[in-house]
This record gives sequence, C-alpha cells and structure tokens, in this order.
Amino acid sequence: MEVAVIGVGQTSFGTFPKKSLKALFFEAFQEALRDVEKGLDPKEIEEAWIGTLSTGGGQLGNQAALLCETVGLAGVSAHHVENACASGGFAFRNAVMAIRSGRCRVAMAAGIEKMTDLPRERNRLWLGVSGDVEWERLAGTNFPGIYAMLARRHMYEHGTLKEWITGVAVKNHANAVHNPKAQFRFPIDLERAMRAPMLADPLTVFDACGITDGAAVAIVCRADEARRYTDRPVMVMGSGAATDYLAIHDRKDLTGLLAARKAAAQAYKEAGVGPKDIQVAEVHDCFTIAEIMAYEDLGFCEDGQGGFLIRDGLTKLDGPIPVNPSGGLKAKGHPIGATGIGQICEIVHQLRGDVQEPIRQVKGARIGLTHNVGGSGGTAVVHIFRSPE
Amino acid sequence: MSSYVSLPIFASTLRERYRLEEPRCRSCGTLNVPARMACIECGRGDFDWEKLTGRGRVFTYTVIARGGAPTEFDEQQIMSGSLVVAIVELEEGAKVVAQLTDCDPEEVRVGSPLKAVFRKLYDQEGVVRYGYKFVMDEERE
Ligand SMILES: [Zn+2]
Repeated sequence: MEVAVIGVGQTSFGTFPKKSLKALFFEAFQEALRDVEKGLDPKEIEEAWIGTLSTGGGQLGNQAALLCETVGLAGVSAHHVENACASGGFAFRNAVMAIRSGRCRVAMAAGIEKMTDLPRERNRLWLGVSGDVEWERLAGTNFPGIYAMLARRHMYEHGTLKEWITGVAVKNHANAVHNPKAQFRFPIDLERAMRAPMLADPLTVFDACGITDGAAVAIVCRADEARRYTDRPVMVMGSGAATDYLAIHDRKDLTGLLAARKAAAQAYKEAGVGPKDIQVAEVHDCFTIAEIMAYEDLGFCEDGQGGFLIRDGLTKLDGPIPVNPSGGLKAKGHPIGATGIGQICEIVHQLRGDVQEPIRQVKGARIGLTHNVGGSGGTAVVHIFRSPE
Repeated sequence: MSSYVSLPIFASTLRERYRLEEPRCRSCGTLNVPARMACIECGRGDFDWEKLTGRGRVFTYTVIARGGAPTEFDEQQIMSGSLVVAIVELEEGAKVVAQLTDCDPEEVRVGSPLKAVFRKLYDQEGVVRYGYKFVMDEERE
C-alpha cells in the first residue's frame, strides 16, 4: 500500500509568549486542512500520532488526546510519540506504517513544542535530558559539549576546518532570510560567526540552535485514494529509522551517527533510489557539525568529505544538492517535537513546486529527503518523497 | 532544577566510580565501561570484574563556557568559569566521558596522556557525589 501526503501545515517557528500549546496546534492543523486541495472532512482522520518532548512538563500524560480534542478530533485514536528531537519524524513514520498496514485510510502525523514559556534554568534542564543522564550528563556535559566533541574528532580525523563547519550556519541563515516562517531571518557573516562567544569549544553560539515554539501537521492517506483529496499528492517512497547507544563514549566511531546511516540505508532501499537521486533535502542541523555529518551519513559525499560540500558551496540553494532551503533547524528554528514534521512540510512544498517565495524554490526537484535526529544520534529517522506525477 | 539519579542507585555504582573496577565479558573479553547487564559487544551477561589502571588518552574534548554545562555544574562553573570535558580512551580499550581537572585547557590535545583522580562531581540534596575525573599525566608522552 503506497502512502501519499495530501496536506501539510505549520505555524511560524519563533517566540510566541502569548500563544498556548493548544493555540499553536490549532493553527498548524487549520493550515494543513486548508492545504488539502479538494478539501478533507476532519472526521475522515482515523488515527493520529503527535511528536513532542513535552518540554516544561505542563502536560506530560495524554498530550495527544488533549491536542486532538483541541482541533475537533475528540474520540480519534491518538498516540504521543517521544524520541527527543526526532519525535516528529517518528510520528510520521507511524502514520505511514498505519496506512501501509491497510488499517487506516487517512491519518495525521504532527509535532509540537512550546519552549519559550520556561525560565532559563528549567529550559536548560529540558534541553539536556535526551542524552545519557547517568554517565554523560552527570559527568558534566550535555548537547553543546557532546556535539563539540564530535566536531573536534571530525576535525582531527578528517582535517575538517572550523570555517567549513560554521559555514553551515552562514548558508542556512541566508536561506531563512527568504522564509517568512523562519525564526532567525537575518544573514550572518562567517568572520563574525567565527569570532562569536564560545559555547563549547570549537562551537560558538552561532553553531547552535535557539529556543523555539512551533507546531506542524502532515496528513497522509492511501495513495490509491489520494486524488479524491488533491491533484498533487506527494508520495512517500521510503521510510527508515534506527537507534544507537545514547552515550557517545559507547560508540566506536565519533565522526558520524550510525543510527542515521542505518535509517538512510533502509529508506534508500525502500525507495529504490540512492543518494545521487536526491535533489533537495532537509537535514537535522541542531549544531552546525551535525549537517556536515549528515552529508556523510546520507551518502551525499564520501566519509570525511562533508566539509568540502560547504567549502565548495554545493549545498547552497543554487548548488547541485540544496540542503535546508528552509533555513534548517539553525535558522528556521528547532521546536523539538515539531522539527521533523516541519522538515516534511518544506519538502512537500518543494516537490509540489509551490514554495511561496520563488527564490527558495528548488527548480524541478522531483525527489526529496528528510533526516531527523534525536539527541546526539540515539534515534534517527529518514524519509524520501517523490513529486506528484 | 536538576536531573536525578537517586542516592541508592548512585551508591550501586560506587565500585566503578571510587575504585575504577569494571566488568570484562567472560564470553568475548570486552571490557564494559560503565558496567552493563548485557555485554555491549556480544550481549551475554557473565563478567569478571577487574581494577583498571586509570591511564588513558584524550580521544576528543571540549571546553564548555560558563553556563554551557548542565545545571548540576552551575556552582562549579561560577568558581571555575569554563569546564573541560573529554572522551577518554582507556589503556584497557573502552572509552569513558569525564571532566579534565587541574589542567590548562590550552595544553589539551587529542592524544594527551591522562590519569584518573578521585574528585567531587556535584552536589544533590545536600549530599556530595564523588567519582573520577582525569588530570594530565606528566610522566608519559
Ligand atoms: Zn561479550
């Protein structure tokens, strides 16, 4: 059973102190419904998966049911999916599996996070709970330090230069300038980013994401019924997912994420395509080094050569393989649970050729990929999509 | 706010944290650090515990700026400013994550020789949690 995406919607990503969790979800859901070209009666949605870390703990239990009732879906079977920053991507995978199984005709995959309500101290707690707590966090480091150590090892083994790593942020900010839904819509220059205050050496504050609110929704259905809802269904060609040891010291290789490699291999196999066929990708750049590793984990280049893609400008909007045309996590924003679905929203628009701002539209892209990672690679999920015929 | 490992659970790891004793798998010979119920290499569960030398080398490291470490280390960062954390490759083969202490961050390199020392890690509920950190081993190249 093939699966099609028939509608996507997302809030702007940013700081919205006056919008509640429910208000954000309602906004994203309404946009997804409006995006279904020929209309969809919400009552047709039979099952829902909602990815969120539940940052802040305001509503930990039964969050999926609460958000469903908020948008008029009381009664629908709903599941809360939590796989840290990959929660959204895993929510989508579940919806895909449900349609493939034949059990559902129409399903919803969503993601949401409300991070800016919290005092700074409480936010810092929530940001560090998705790595290994007992040995890694309580030895003195959470994600900035962990990604910094991955960056250091990449530089040591492969001669990757810091300016290539930080070049990821420069590229992604340049893209976000043209995305009205992005959080940080300003360009940054390499010189300044290199001189910015250190966060965890060699990463500066410009190598990291901010704190973000946002929600995103994708509606999927059986491909053989998709034309009832839209003339431009985007097909799900492949889905892959994997896990790895949470603590990075338990891993043999520290220059890539094995979970992402396994997820990518599965997704490519299902889709019957390879890295060279991908024409646009949204990848998980929670820290700049993560995008360099993603190039290698996804096979966009040989191992160790991820930095060259930035050095040579190959992943810019006008390059041969544009990556993060939305601005990525770095500049579009990273509302943890919403991120994976936000990536899918972007790729669906790219493949339908209806990105609102023509400057961001990757011309003629037919096959696109999303890559969503949880924590420092404890979880990873990859999807491959095809444009409407 | 801080994340939480209860005192009894922390106490159950003192053999590792205080005396650097760790289990080696009887089936495949892999040293498991920290201890696991199922061997990280072969998945079996019979181990012989051994005392480690505490010697190792920097596999990778970072210098975390003030405020960049987990909240449990806020008090330490107020006093020390930055905090040096490394993945240490032990002489016996396994890797661990630990702080480097009493060192000049400028002198740390991938490959620098290290030795384990016993130090305060952090405070929780008025109880000090102790364990190992590493210092530069001046006696080795
Ligand atoms: Zn074994």
